[in-house]
Amino acid sequence: MATRCSFENSHEVGVFAALTNSYCLAGIGGNENFYSVLEAELREHIPVLHATIGGNRFVGRTTVGNVRGLLVPNTATDQELTHLRNSLPDKVVVQRVEERFSALGNVISTNDHVALIHPDTDRETEEIISDVLGVEVFRQTVGGQALVGSYAKFTNQGGMVHPRTTVQDMEELSSLLQVPLVAGTVNRGSDVLGGGMVVNDWSAFCGMDTTGTEISVIESIFRLQRQQNGGAEPMDIVTDMRSSLIDQLS
Amino acid sequence: MPVYNFKKMSPVPSAPDLIDIVLMRTQRRTPTVIHPGYKINRIRSFYMRKIKFTQQTISERLSKMLTDFPRLNDIHPFYADLCNTLYDRDHYKLALGQLNTARSLVDQIARDMIRMVKYADSAYRCKCLKRAALGRMCTVLKRQKASLAYLEEVRKHLSRLPSLDPNTRTILMCGLPNVGKSSFMNKITRGNVDVQPYAFTTKSLFVGHCDYKYLRWQVIDTPGILDHSLEQRNTIEMQAIIALAHLTCSVLYFCDPSEQCGYTVEQQCSLFRSIKPLFANKQLIIIVNKVDQLPWDEVQPEKREMIEDLGRDANCSIMTMSNISEHGVSAVKAAACDKLLEKRVDARVAGKKVDGVMNRLQVFHPTPRDGVHRQAHIPDSVKQAVADGRIGSADHKPKRSRKGYAETVDDIDKNDEDATMDVSGQLKTARDLMWENGGPGVWAPDYREQYDLKDKDWRFDAIPEIMDGKNIADFVDPDIEKKLAELEDEEEQLLEELAAQRMGEEPDSDLDSEEEAAVAAIRDRKKIIKNISQANRSENKPVLPRSIRGRTKDKHDRGDRNKDVVKDKMERLGVDASIMIKRGRSLDKTRGRKRGISVSRDVEMDNSNDSPGTEISKTQTKKQRRSRSEAAKREASISRGHSRPRDPSQIGLHSDAAVEAAKKLEKQGRRMWEGGAGEGDNRKAVHLVRWMNTGKKRNGTHYCR
Repeated sequence: MATRCSFENSHEVGVFAALTNSYCLAGIGGNENFYSVLEAELREHIPVLHATIGGNRFVGRTTVGNVRGLLVPNTATDQELTHLRNSLPDKVVVQRVEERFSALGNVISTNDHVALIHPDTDRETEEIISDVLGVEVFRQTVGGQALVGSYAKFTNQGGMVHPRTTVQDMEELSSLLQVPLVAGTVNRGSDVLGGGMVVNDWSAFCGMDTTGTEISVIESIFRLQRQQNGGAEPMDIVTDMRSSLIDQLS
Repeated sequence: MPVYNFKKMSPVPSAPDLIDIVLMRTQRRTPTVIHPGYKINRIRSFYMRKIKFTQQTISERLSKMLTDFPRLNDIHPFYADLCNTLYDRDHYKLALGQLNTARSLVDQIARDMIRMVKYADSAYRCKCLKRAALGRMCTVLKRQKASLAYLEEVRKHLSRLPSLDPNTRTILMCGLPNVGKSSFMNKITRGNVDVQPYAFTTKSLFVGHCDYKYLRWQVIDTPGILDHSLEQRNTIEMQAIIALAHLTCSVLYFCDPSEQCGYTVEQQCSLFRSIKPLFANKQLIIIVNKVDQLPWDEVQPEKREMIEDLGRDANCSIMTMSNISEHGVSAVKAAACDKLLEKRVDARVAGKKVDGVMNRLQVFHPTPRDGVHRQAHIPDSVKQAVADGRIGSADHKPKRSRKGYAETVDDIDKNDEDATMDVSGQLKTARDLMWENGGPGVWAPDYREQYDLKDKDWRFDAIPEIMDGKNIADFVDPDIEKKLAELEDEEEQLLEELAAQRMGEEPDSDLDSEEEAAVAAIRDRKKIIKNISQANRSENKPVLPRSIRGRTKDKHDRGDRNKDVVKDKMERLGVDASIMIKRGRSLDKTRGRKRGISVSRDVEMDNSNDSPGTEISKTQTKKQRRSRSEAAKREASISRGHSRPRDPSQIGLHSDAAVEAAKKLEKQGRRMWEGGAGEGDNRKAVHLVRWMNTGKKRNGTHYCR
């Protein structure tokens, strides 16, 4: 189920939250409205934490993680690390990375099996990613953009990439990631997918600007509606939604 | 694709207002003070500037109007025709044309008058020419009274037209009056159009919007059309015709077989035939309305046949519908939308516009690259919730607040029947707690509450961040116990080794116990002295110079160097202090140094006492005396030299007279600068020009021209 929400008048919810299959981080804001949206949907299943990284609330852009671990940049303070360590379940490994790019969320995009990283990332970081997150790591660009974390978002069930990615690139990415892929937008045409939404294997949160069409594409490609009574499948984009998409996009 | 927005046009002032605006602006934005005594060039340019400025203001205002109003040749033909019908194309163009002419007339006037001002020979002539120029320009504006008034009316009307996009997905309803077009509009959109049981309730185009298939659709309600020739149609009907003619849309032709609208089925069919050419290239559906009054099966066969004939002729489908029973409303909407969408998509695909977005229409499925099965990680609780239908099923939709917040009980609209919220089984969200405890900025959650620790009681333990100036986190080590044990073992071992080494050795010292005690006492004493001296030294007090240190201050503090104190101290130690005291007295400055002159006198006197006994010649005596007196003088001068301070300015002056003379000279030198405006004097005195401020003034005021 995809939910629309906003963080203090900003629709870039992916900046202020990080969501994986085993935990969810939310930036500490002036009020609890955003946190409670996440909390109401997820609390039953996974811990939802308040967090800061280096005193900043854009935790979604500075951290990256999956079901096995969480990587934080070297700007994270010891207290913040302690807080994360205390709050997260023991099976989640928290690791600080000495990487030149401190916005890890922008340079790394990952699910529980495969990760795409910025081509200029350190070799040590690459090793840490594959060890801590337990993933295969590929250095790739998406739609000519090196910031794969910002312009690609994928889970174990599907993925969405920058709208200008070419068909050849998408085929290649799809076979690398081993998930169905589609190019798309959030927040009424924004190509910054990582900034505009957070998504895991059963839920998604995107900015308040997101249109109905975008929500439907997100729900079907990430398989957010269960299948027992005609929930959306990735193929719906090709069948049901094709005409609407053509009419809207071209 | 241009977006038509006529709401942003600025208001058109009436002619008198425009004149006021222009003249006021000229008066305010140009200089106002001129004197007839100025150079003629300056006076001329002063008045030329006024004329030029007025002309610029006028042409600026008029150009703004000309660009604001849409040019009928450039806008979408739908709007062009609508404007023609509503405002009369000729009249509109004429008004704008007149404004354009007025603008060039004003330019011409300004040019001519400026040329004349160039030859004016006095301030008065210049002023008259300026008055004439401004007057003529205002007259030109005054003549545009009618055009300006008309354009203001047009602007008001244009800005109230519905914002209708001629190029988007559109559904358009047409038909005779009272067949149910507006009711249908109200059913499928939130347009809230006025519906009344008489003809021409709808007098202009109305636009509403509805959603279908993730898309936004524009729904246009048109006024009813009567069945007569195009020439006879009035403005209200023409709007409907224009919309039909120019918009690419899905058209719903409404029929009323119950004839409650007041028109027979024949009339309805003949209207259809007369406007049929307008349906070319459109997705047409004939809607048989009001089936709650007269079901389609019960309609007289001949009438039914006539309507079906229409469908066959125009090659379109016929759908039945009732706005009251809501029979077929959504089916009609879906059919209309689907037909148009199909058409538009076909056009897009044929036009090869789709290639650019092909990656967004296609799902790229992976080709397996290895045998690894990469499954999703969905917790069991989620699977359970899905099985219970609590999340993720197609028919279960969680309540979404429009604000994007998690809802609290207070957010539920009391009038909304569906909005029941089961709060009994739910935990409170942080937002609930926040509002219960004073709202944002007052309450913040305790983040430690969620800590997932081995023992729940540890969560709120205070753990210092910094201890003894060291960051605790730097010393956190999971193996700390083990390492500590290792270290302790090692230390123990080392101690044992040391003990083993020392075994059999005896302490090496060649002092007996008494000497050792003495040494210890000395060391203790030294340590105490050192500490005292350090304590004294570190005190924050003025440091006395060495020369006066130890002097007697008062009767309670006689000081270290006092004779009695020294004597006591030395006697205690068993030392004779007399020599010491003597030496101290000789060094003591307070007892006064002997002045050189007295000493030398003593010496002289001694010498004079000694001398008579010796035999020397007179000349020698004289010589001796002279040399003695010279020596005495020199000594006196030296001592004077030391005793009398000298002003630096007097150094090098040989006598008091010379000093006086120098002082006098210096005073004279200073006096030269007193009172006059020196180089550091920045004051600007009022500079009154005599010829401007004296004498009789000529006719007129000399302040303002």
